[in-house]
Amino acid sequence: MGRWRSPPTPTQKTQTSEYGRPNPKPENAVTIGVSARVLFNMETEQQIYERQGLEEYIKYQVEHETQPFTPGPAFSFVKALEAVNAQLRELYPESEELFDVVLMTNNHAYVGLRLINTINHHQLFIERFCMTGGNSPIGYLKAYHTNLYLSADPVKVREALEEGIAAATMFTPEKMAEVSESQLRVAFDGDAVLFSDESERIYKAHGLDKFFEHEKAHENKLLDHGPLKGFLEALGKLQKKFYGKGQRMECPIRTYLVTARSAASSGTRALKTLRSWGLEIDEALFMAGAPKGPMLEKIRPHIFFDDQMFHVEGAAEMGTVACHVPYGVAQGVTKREMNGRETSSAPK
Amino acid sequence: MEMVSTVQNTDVKQKDADRALVVAVTTRAVFDAAAGDVYGMGVAFPLLQKVNERLLEKNPAESLLFDVVLIATDSQQQSSRIISSTSHYGLEVGRFCFSSREDLVETLVVNNVQLFLSTDRDEALQVSQKGVLSALLGRQEAPSESLRVMLCGDAIVRPDCDPVPASRGAAQSFSARLGEMRGRFGVSGSPLSIVLVTSSGGSKSCGVALQTLRSRGLSVDEAYCLAGAPRGPILSLLRPHFLLGDGVIDLED
Repeated sequence: MGRWRSPPTPTQKTQTSEYGRPNPKPENAVTIGVSARVLFNMETEQQIYERQGLEEYIKYQVEHETQPFTPGPAFSFVKALEAVNAQLRELYPESEELFDVVLMTNNHAYVGLRLINTINHHQLFIERFCMTGGNSPIGYLKAYHTNLYLSADPVKVREALEEGIAAATMFTPEKMAEVSESQLRVAFDGDAVLFSDESERIYKAHGLDKFFEHEKAHENKLLDHGPLKGFLEALGKLQKKFYGKGQRMECPIRTYLVTARSAASSGTRALKTLRSWGLEIDEALFMAGAPKGPMLEKIRPHIFFDDQMFHVEGAAEMGTVACHVPYGVAQGVTKREMNGRETSSAPK
Repeated sequence: MEMVSTVQNTDVKQKDADRALVVAVTTRAVFDAAAGDVYGMGVAFPLLQKVNERLLEKNPAESLLFDVVLIATDSQQQSSRIISSTSHYGLEVGRFCFSSREDLVETLVVNNVQLFLSTDRDEALQVSQKGVLSALLGRQEAPSESLRVMLCGDAIVRPDCDPVPASRGAAQSFSARLGEMRGRFGVSGSPLSIVLVTSSGGSKSCGVALQTLRSRGLSVDEAYCLAGAPRGPILSLLRPHFLLGDGVIDLED
């Protein structure tokens, strides 16, 4: 009797995509999970799903299979990630410390061919995906060591945050401002995004002035970390790779802190905390409570994270792709209330 | 030389021999020899039956059903005990085959078996090598709404390798029949779920696999393109009842 065995799984090192480049091991890469609806514009299809149901939605998708979707709000962010990868590969051809974008959708695989055709049409380097056919993608996020999850569905985003995965709900601005194709720009709010919401509680309870006072008084006490701290850390690691090759000034990754804190009073505590974590931020903009929209319009980040819908909407109004991080005291809804609501089952 | 004996189960209505999808399962996969209890396959068995029930609900004259043949190669197990246990648990077994290990493949071929399920890896490999589609049963503890069949996309996309796996033809015709069966149900609420996983190659390869399957009449419910990522974590999330691919693939990766 022969000892015929099934073919061995190809080793990771020899794994190549259609573009002839190896796919990094999930634990080495900075993995970004994006849902279909934020990567592409699926508004028409979403309406069909909501008004006519799942079967009609699938039928429509299959009928339009060869018609690529147009870009969604996460598109330019993903393109910028790829641009950074290209530059990293040039400097470190053997390294697996790269961005890896995974399409993480609970669409049915019937929609798969249209999504794959669209990926090819736009020449996106997305080689990994999960089409869960209606099941929650959260388990898969963990299996892929996901560093950041972006979705249009706040329910899934909350689930991800609860599992300790950095996540945010992405919104589509009316008009998207032009952004750089060669330099990735990521902007973060401070409290309840990079930092915990402890100070925001003061602000909510006692107002802005009290918040500034409190922060000044506690400026040497480190803030606790927030849900996006890990992602900033991952970006920092990649930035250092460029610095190592003498590319500090023209680094293709740039980070921004856009906070309601004021430089005069509460800003110090934020900066000291970042420094103690060994994290750098390229530019810190202290708005002292002023609207963030116009500042972001100047910065032109590919993505902006904030825990308050007021700021997210304000940014989106001015063309910034803004994402809501549903964490902390700024959320008007308690966890218990969220669980009681009907969970969204729309394909994402 | 031991004779193979086939016994029809009179408790169960016989399926249409030309149209049914014949699935053979070893008794060792269904019964715990010592205790005579149903285990292992016991989880997948009700789901196979559920598919049949739902098919008949839709069309009482449906002939494309699972026809389960129970195969005993272990002379330790008493035939009477097997038959009475089957009856006791109400398992929808169409036929019993009492064979020897040496006659196993012949028994399968004679009974027109299109899929052989086992918990014994060597046994499954032996069968697969002789051209009969074979798969290992997963250890399922959690209840499931549907019978989850996983297809390994790499086998579908891989250009004809040398030598071509013996069970390749059997796999293709089985997937076509399975697709026909799946097509009886709508997108959601189906008692049968088809899951495609491609381990190597990128999204284009997975696209080719999806298209190839569709051209055979099989539409897939879920698709996962790993592009080299380790399969283990994904398999434990996906929880397939069995996995079809080139040769025999372990579910515990």
